[in-house]
Amino acid sequence: MKRLLALIAALAVMTMVLTGCGEEKAAEKVLKIGTMSPLTGPYAADGNDIRQGAEIAIEVIKEQGGIEGFDDIQIFPQDTACDPKQAVAAANKLINDEVTGVVGAYCSSSTIPASETLAEENIIMLTPASTSPKVTERGLTNMFRTCGRDDHQAPAAVKFMKDVAGVKSIFIVDDKTTYSQGLAEGVAAAATAAGIEVKEHDHVNQGDKDYSAVLTKVKAANPDLFYISLQNSATGALMMIQAKRMGVDAILMGQDAVYHPKLVEIAKSAAEGAFCTFGAIDKDAEAFKTFVSKYKAKSGNEPGAYSAYAFDSAMAYLLAVKAAGTTDAAKVRAEILKLDFTGASKQVSYQENGDSGSNYTVYQVKDGKFVPYWNSLSGEKY
Amino acid sequence: MTTQESKKLWMACGVGLIWFLILLWPLLGIQPEGLEFGKTFKVFGYIAVAAVFIMFFYQIKEAGHLDAVGDPIVSAKGRFQELYEKTPRWILLSIVLGFAIVFPLVTGRYAHDVSISVLIYICLGLGLNIVVGLAGLLDLGYIAFYGVGAYTYALMSLHFGMSFWLCLPIAGVTAAVAGSIVGYPTLRMRGDYLAIVTLGFGEIVRLIFNNWMGLTNGPNGILSIPRPDIFGFELNKLWMLYYVILVIAVITIIAVYRLNFSRIGRAWEAIREDETAAELMGVNTFLLKLLAYAMGATFAGFAGAFFAARMRFVGPESFTFLESAMVLAMVVLGGMGSIPGVILGVLALVALPELFREFELYRMLVFGGTMTLMMLIRPAGIWPASRVGRRSEEAD
Amino acid sequence: MEFFIQQLINGITLGAVYALIALGYTMVYGIIQLINFAHGEFFAAGGYMGVILISYLAAQGLHPYACLGISLVLSMGYCALLAMAVEQLAYKPLRQASRLAALLSALGMSIFLQNGLMLTQGVYDKPYPTEITAGGFEWGLISVSYMQIFIVGLTAVLLVALNILVFKTRIGRAMRATSQDKVMAALVGINSNRVIATTFAIGAALAAAAGIMVGLYYGSVNYSMGFVPGIKAFAAAVLGGIGNITGALIGGLIIGMVEIFAAGYISGEYKDVFAFVILIGVLYFRPTGIMGENVDDTRV
Repeated sequence: MKRLLALIAALAVMTMVLTGCGEEKAAEKVLKIGTMSPLTGPYAADGNDIRQGAEIAIEVIKEQGGIEGFDDIQIFPQDTACDPKQAVAAANKLINDEVTGVVGAYCSSSTIPASETLAEENIIMLTPASTSPKVTERGLTNMFRTCGRDDHQAPAAVKFMKDVAGVKSIFIVDDKTTYSQGLAEGVAAAATAAGIEVKEHDHVNQGDKDYSAVLTKVKAANPDLFYISLQNSATGALMMIQAKRMGVDAILMGQDAVYHPKLVEIAKSAAEGAFCTFGAIDKDAEAFKTFVSKYKAKSGNEPGAYSAYAFDSAMAYLLAVKAAGTTDAAKVRAEILKLDFTGASKQVSYQENGDSGSNYTVYQVKDGKFVPYWNSLSGEKY
Repeated sequence: MTTQESKKLWMACGVGLIWFLILLWPLLGIQPEGLEFGKTFKVFGYIAVAAVFIMFFYQIKEAGHLDAVGDPIVSAKGRFQELYEKTPRWILLSIVLGFAIVFPLVTGRYAHDVSISVLIYICLGLGLNIVVGLAGLLDLGYIAFYGVGAYTYALMSLHFGMSFWLCLPIAGVTAAVAGSIVGYPTLRMRGDYLAIVTLGFGEIVRLIFNNWMGLTNGPNGILSIPRPDIFGFELNKLWMLYYVILVIAVITIIAVYRLNFSRIGRAWEAIREDETAAELMGVNTFLLKLLAYAMGATFAGFAGAFFAARMRFVGPESFTFLESAMVLAMVVLGGMGSIPGVILGVLALVALPELFREFELYRMLVFGGTMTLMMLIRPAGIWPASRVGRRSEEAD
Repeated sequence: MEFFIQQLINGITLGAVYALIALGYTMVYGIIQLINFAHGEFFAAGGYMGVILISYLAAQGLHPYACLGISLVLSMGYCALLAMAVEQLAYKPLRQASRLAALLSALGMSIFLQNGLMLTQGVYDKPYPTEITAGGFEWGLISVSYMQIFIVGLTAVLLVALNILVFKTRIGRAMRATSQDKVMAALVGINSNRVIATTFAIGAALAAAAGIMVGLYYGSVNYSMGFVPGIKAFAAAVLGGIGNITGALIGGLIIGMVEIFAAGYISGEYKDVFAFVILIGVLYFRPTGIMGENVDDTRV
């Protein structure tokens, strides 16, 4: 008997939740934007960076007087847990919430299926962090990317290795994600083409903490440079600590995922002198300074690697809506393509396919800080 | 409740709260800058007030002051029960089925998405129910077969252009073969040794998906998998896919129901209750255990093929150990061996996290807590099977 | 040759880490036949408590080794309390229920604790003050850090201590009796609830020690760190014969070695596959693990 009641209750609750009884219809016109990023699970750190970045963009716009025609701007953060299934569920949830623009997702493997769902309802999606070339190469008109692309990052990194660092041989390690492996393969190919010997391209698994086996291999191979392509900064830090302890004396080089204040905080002296590629950021720009001060005030942390991109993605969308005066996807897209503004991460402007161009710069860790070292576009040292 | 009992209860509540405070404070209050109490007591305050409130409520209920509210509910319950028992089964079933058919017409996209997940998990749960609920073999790597089914459809349709309907049985067969491969070496093992071996197999399959670049495209997954079609008409709307999975789920339910009451089903239950006795009674345990794995895997294969077609993307992230544990949780929570129980379990575990989406960061915390709580309240599941025996050695 | 020796050292260290976690697993399993999924979370909680206490004590100006010692003891105590609370709340009421119910309750607890840690400690990795134990020996290509020696040493000491506890003391005798037959044990005057609670406390204290060792060795802790080592330690415990203390050490060493050598000589991406294949292979020929006795057929 209890069971039948339970069944009825469960069904009733389901219907209520699913049809969204709880939503009150607001009379005022609200601009709704969603964020999608992993708020739980192993990549929760980066996911929170993204959410907070987008929240700050809304704050800034509100302070500037909001957007004409809209009474309020609301944000709907959704968790993807870096799982394609949850990403699609989150996308559908956002569609139900009637958002018109989405900032996200983090993992390329979440962004790709979610963007297809959002495309069905013509919702603009701007990813601040998915660097896989496939993201913008599927002919979707709703997809934009504020960060760089792996196939631009790899040549930039190799150019640095050859022209600036002058290395003859490298050893590559990745941790088998769409992002890290794609990038590592790009580096391997570009390095071979540039005449740098790739001693070995090895892999570790996500969730590993012990890298001693692969580091022993690195030490035995004795390369000039050790290229670390891991999914996030914490694992990058673990790799660097263990490399130093093992006595690997090759130059350490990482990619954009390790560009995070937490890397230095965890790896401490082990990260000293390590290089990494990340988009050029003008730290003297007004937009960047306001962003950092607001970010610190809000979260108590330094902004993470993708916070600035998330901020710019949300900004780009809000500015485009402001210019278009509507949330109609086609008009907003036209406005986004016209944009050219100084964001927190870079000068933001989008190309026809949704990319915003890459401006990778090599940074070096010096006295616990990332210091710009060499610009891949101009080919000059700072 | 006597005064003494009541005092004891309050005492336990007090001890529990103090214990909780001792556990909470070091996590929140010890900072390198110094010791801090404000934050801890704020969090603790909320929880203490909630605990005291629940205690009062419980006492009032025990004292009978809520009978005015409770009695009508109890009598309504009684009437419902009567109604339920008097109504022929087919009427109840057609009401549920009718609800399932009408459902997408009156709801939105998000509801379609969640209900598709529910139906996929119903297929998975019922498949695992054969292995765990009927045959009594603990399987912690069940999701691997789901993955095999998904990759089978993805690869077949992309490389050979085969249609969804043709791939569906093939996915079932490959999953069944995979099930037999896993099943064979584990037949000698029992209990928890079986659990770790199936867990190991599950991880091996996931790692192969993640690492075999040539076949599965590794972590990048397989993109742009075609949607199912009917006579050349592509099912491109979510609600159309809902009906596809509804049909698959209904077929699964009927198949598992028939299996349950067949000779094979009884033999499985005999193995679950006492393997040695079953063997002595002439049950071919070797073959039947293998069959349980293969049958369970088949349904996971169907669900997997549909999953690939619905997501249009498969990647190894979807087939982790946690996913296996979730399906197992659905089966156990609902009631092992019982079909309505498994369906309720699925509803509870898919709907709950979606409900808790509003809690944002607290989502998984609440989810974990609820899972433990539900097990404590109903250890045998929400709707236990009627034919589960108890072994003497467990009754101690 | 140097390459081989270095990998051997790596393997022994990793094996010792797994064994440290597996000891707690196997003790709890031995007494109530419960796969305690929350054990990995005790390990993570211990790691966090360690870093919290070390940074606090260091800020008070204590000598680093004193900080480390005090934190180790306090964290072990903390995790013991945590484990007893979890046992009382989530496992004790289910002692008469089916084993799967207890298993799921444990899984729920694991999710709950992991997210509790995330909410109180944040999503970012917490750095460990690794400089306390930095340094080591080097001979040519081979390097051994003090931390590695310390981990292996601690595992050995704990192994001996546990064996003494279980086989030479009163409480150990009570534990063995309870694990064999709870009713009989109760009849001869053993308070089985207290024995089980003690076992949980000891198991969690071991996990906490492992958490601090891992934090110091690898340099950071995060809230989800318990999951993967939890599964590996579970595999190690089963491989050695679940419920057997020496078996946990042997299992841990085998899993650690296989992983390191597979990564060193074959391929890093397939190392876990090799570890699980070895596990399945061993269990195929010895269905109750290397050191396991022939247990009765237990139903799931």
